[in-house]
Amino acid sequence: MRINATTAAALAAAMLTTGAVAARDLMIVGFGGPFQDNARTALFQGYAKATSQAVKDDVYNGEMAKVYSMVKSGDVTYDVIMVEAPELVRGCEDGVFEKMDWNVVKRDKFISGGSTTCGAGAVLWGVTLFYDPTKVQNGPDTYAKLWDVKTYPGKRLLRQSPKTTLEIALLADGVPPADVYKLLGTPAGQKRAFDKLDQIKPNLMWWKSGTQPVQMITSGDATYAVGFTGRIVRANEGGAKYPLLWKTLLYSVDYWAVVKGSPNAKEGFKMIEWITDTKPLLALADIYAVSPANKEAAANPALSAKNPGMLSSHVSDGLFINTEFWVANGEDLEQKFNAWLAK
Amino acid sequence: MTTRSNRLAAALIAPLLILVVASFVVPLAVTLYTAIGNPEVRDTLPRTAAGLRAWNAEGLPAEQAFEAIASELAQAQEGQSIGQLSRRLNFEQLGMRALLLKTARAKDDLGTPYKDALIALDPRWGETDTWRLLHRNVAAVTPLYLLRSLDLSVAPDGSVVHAPRDESVFRALFARTFIISFWVTVLCVVLGYPVAYTLSTLPPRWANAGLALVLVPFWTSILVRTTAWFILLQKEGPVNALLQSMQIVDAPLTLIFTRFAVYVAMVHVLLPFVILPLYGVMKGIDPVYMRAAASLGAPGWKRFLRVYLPMTMPGVAAGALMVFMLAVGFYVTPALVGGPDDQMVSYFIAFFTNQTINWGMAAALALLLLAMTAVIVTVARLVVPGFKVGAVNL
Repeated sequence: MRINATTAAALAAAMLTTGAVAARDLMIVGFGGPFQDNARTALFQGYAKATSQAVKDDVYNGEMAKVYSMVKSGDVTYDVIMVEAPELVRGCEDGVFEKMDWNVVKRDKFISGGSTTCGAGAVLWGVTLFYDPTKVQNGPDTYAKLWDVKTYPGKRLLRQSPKTTLEIALLADGVPPADVYKLLGTPAGQKRAFDKLDQIKPNLMWWKSGTQPVQMITSGDATYAVGFTGRIVRANEGGAKYPLLWKTLLYSVDYWAVVKGSPNAKEGFKMIEWITDTKPLLALADIYAVSPANKEAAANPALSAKNPGMLSSHVSDGLFINTEFWVANGEDLEQKFNAWLAK
Repeated sequence: MTTRSNRLAAALIAPLLILVVASFVVPLAVTLYTAIGNPEVRDTLPRTAAGLRAWNAEGLPAEQAFEAIASELAQAQEGQSIGQLSRRLNFEQLGMRALLLKTARAKDDLGTPYKDALIALDPRWGETDTWRLLHRNVAAVTPLYLLRSLDLSVAPDGSVVHAPRDESVFRALFARTFIISFWVTVLCVVLGYPVAYTLSTLPPRWANAGLALVLVPFWTSILVRTTAWFILLQKEGPVNALLQSMQIVDAPLTLIFTRFAVYVAMVHVLLPFVILPLYGVMKGIDPVYMRAAASLGAPGWKRFLRVYLPMTMPGVAAGALMVFMLAVGFYVTPALVGGPDDQMVSYFIAFFTNQTINWGMAAALALLLLAMTAVIVTVARLVVPGFKVGAVNL
């Protein structure tokens, strides 16, 4: 290759400018695990290749304290970050995330609820009831049956959080999905949920990390568990035969957001536009069972055929976890839940 | 002492002083401020705050306050600063978040007189208690976090009341933390004492080998040791397998996520902290005292109780103090092997820091834990013999 003086000067100037604007690579942060391992290839490095923007990725566990400290101290080292819905709403109101630049990211490609002031939908996630059919024949397939400890003896493993647990208690008590949050917003509804949990409290166990449900069903510590569908599908790919009980699905969306004060905010929006597009998502779907929040990708028949656990095919059976409800009542219910647990 | 050696001493001690100030005094001051600081209303609603200062907390404030809050809430939402304010007020009075966001969103529909417009939007703006809540939080400091950490809360009219029973968690939590720490300390001393005694009487070669057995786990990460217990104690783990193969139990026992597991793992992690100081003290005891006691006719138990034990008390006190202080702040071990009703104060400090980002509560709990531990240790120094002796006279 022949490089003349002008090109060299332009290159040097370009390097200087990049050096001044972005002293480091674009940093994208997710929850880790197999999703991120595969997203790294198909989405992050795919974008790097397509645009020659150097991209690095890092892992966090969803706890927002670090991001808040970053924004507070002005030393922002994360650019694009994956967040759960309530954290997104809160962080947006707290000024921890930039308002999404909907001129750069095309808003109409997302499923309903897949775009907010600060977030662009990445993937859907959900929890369902499951058990090991080699140990239990014909286990419970509804939450009402999960409460029947005579027919179905054994420990039940739920998430150690009021979120999902209180919804499940009301569903088990026969509350129609459409009324769950209306009821949970009232003291009477909360009491009803806790009373329902009281009925089987000695049979309940609690998980904190997403790996635990499959792990504790495998180890026999729990007989039935409510866990992330992604993990159940993965265990089934590894040879397990856990039933996917879609009637017990509770689901939500994880979003991409740009951290406030990121020196790479502009590049971040561009990257979000690229990694939420149909083509890269289909490339990701080739190597990993993903449930994208992109309408076109979610509707792709090849994709749902390949991934039996794709949530967008099953959301009509499930209950959408109400983000605004949990932002408004989360802290209060956490406290009541902790008090109830310790009783 | 001469001035020169004074100056030298000051120079030598300066790095330590700076370290103590930077790593102890400053964080403590920041924690204290976080536990009682109340910046949200003043920072986000400065004009409303100014208007409320002139209000006597009876009836309703003047039109100016209504106008100020309507425009400042809209600004706060636009400027992404409404979150902290709404969360702070929602924490004190449930439902405030919804009210503030609703008001901020309605800014284009509101007009003069703002008083009527706001009350028409939501009748809560016509209630004195809503405005009292704001009025109360114009102050630079708030007792709310400390009160909540003791299961107390502030009623809408401003009086301090007990939290409802289904929300009370913290008094029981502090009690549990100190009870677990107390029993862990007792178990560590009871188990560590004979070990240290045996080590101190062994010939040097064997004593070194024995000390290595104490020290190697001591050098291993606390996380690794705790995880090891997690594996050992699970339902299909080695402990249950052994018990079943020896036909001691028919069905596997639930060992993990119990108080029992917390005690086992904590005692295991903390045992070296009592063995090592005890060993040091016991090595320094001249056997001639015991022989003297024997020659004066004291039987074995009396020699131990009257002569040996009192001389080892400084070691017991030092070890027990260290174990207790460390146990009070334990987080990883109960979080990994304990159930939901085995968690200690640190668990909730981490919970408020990381999960709900309520740093006021985290700071208040940390401060109360520190204060209570200081009181307990001071009382222990006064009533337990040996605490005032030699090395541990803190």
